Amino acid sequence: MKKILVVEDDPDVQSLIKAIFSMDPRFSIARVVESAEEAIEAVGMTAPEIIVLDYNLMGELSGLDVAQQLKDLAPQTKIIMFTAHAEVEAQTQDGPTDVFLLKTESMRLLPLAQQMTTLMGFA
Amino acid sequence: MAVSTLTNRETMAHKDMAHKDTSSRVNVAGAHLDDAATEAADYTRAILNILDDIGEEREKQAESQRAVLNILEDIDTDKIRLQSTQKALLNILDDFDAERLKADRANIDLRVVNEAMGSFIDVAAHDLRSPLASMVGFSSLLTENWATLSEQNRLKFVSTINRQSHKLADLVNDLLTLSSIEGGVLRAQPESIVLSEAISACLAAASGDTASVSVSCAPHLVAWVDPNHLERIIDNYVQNAFKYGDPPVRIEVTYLSGTVEIRVIDHGPGVPPEFKSKLFGKFARADVPNTRDKKGSGLGLSIVRGLAEANGGLARYEPILPHGSCFLVILPESEPGQQ
Repeated sequence: MKKILVVEDDPDVQSLIKAIFSMDPRFSIARVVESAEEAIEAVGMTAPEIIVLDYNLMGELSGLDVAQQLKDLAPQTKIIMFTAHAEVEAQTQDGPTDVFLLKTESMRLLPLAQQMTTLMGFA
Repeated sequence: MAVSTLTNRETMAHKDMAHKDTSSRVNVAGAHLDDAATEAADYTRAILNILDDIGEEREKQAESQRAVLNILEDIDTDKIRLQSTQKALLNILDDFDAERLKADRANIDLRVVNEAMGSFIDVAAHDLRSPLASMVGFSSLLTENWATLSEQNRLKFVSTINRQSHKLADLVNDLLTLSSIEGGVLRAQPESIVLSEAISACLAAASGDTASVSVSCAPHLVAWVDPNHLERIIDNYVQNAFKYGDPPVRIEVTYLSGTVEIRVIDHGPGVPPEFKSKLFGKFARADVPNTRDKKGSGLGLSIVRGLAEANGGLARYEPILPHGSCFLVILPESEPGQQ
């Protein structure tokens, strides 16, 4: 079972991500948090294979602010920056996030997660 | 005394001698006088010539002096001209500096406008994408997994699509309204509106607990305003009072020298002081905990201000102490020029 940590503060998008991953029984949502601070705490406890990270979060820090710290805490974990902010893509180049995905392209989320876990040898 | 002792002869001789002597002397003296006269005349002429020369010299000097004075005057004139040219140049330089400052300020203004436009586009794009994300995502799930989805999930997904599509429609309408306000194409069609009736109708049509709103408005009070715009303004203020403020919410209408003031008052925490200047701006949302889960389009108050101004009025915020908010709109009581 591949664990997913969802860092997202919009309840509808949380539901969407849960519904998408429920289509593949090899994935399970380990935890859903709404802020960067909670994500730091959750990553150690859940040891997820994938983090679906929003940019605009509750609290002071953005998803981009916390991405490096998450990567340092869990170097094997793949981070998907999943946001409606298209302008953030340029800032994720050569950064700690592995994939940038616009929220309007959510149908690519599951195939990307499958591909990432396969490449990691988890599948 | 020696003379008196001389004899007559001697005296005569003396006289003769003296006469001879005198005569010769006279002759000599005459010659001398002639010479002297000539000489004197020569001298006189010379002197006169010299005097003439001196006069000429003086005249020449005077002329030279005049010429010098003229030159000096010319120099003065030229100096004055130069000074005025210098002043003109300095003025031109001052004007140039002023123009440069204006251009610098205009550049700064343009940069600010560009940054605001860039930020507006980013926020608009994000806010348009967010409801679209849910609509696209859930409709894709439904399409691809209809058969395997439970009835409960289907209903849940469809209701999310429905809610988000309304949110998107509201946002698109707000963006279009704001564009027409900013583009100067929004035309108000004002008429005389009885405010007590308009406010009651607006509250009846609004969602939420608007029945609890108390209204203080004299029945005869009217405003010269587009009825649709007035409805939008009151609805926005009342919805904001319930979203961000606390009850009781009340509406007060007062008349003040040719204008009417409509105030929507709540007893919530009020607007944070640092956010007041941005309150009527585009995508204005105070980043405070109680607004987190109450995301509107962020365009409501900028539309209210635009609509108020399109109707010859203005929109304003006033804090209520110790806590609470008062949003007011000031509108003309009658058609301008008809009072």
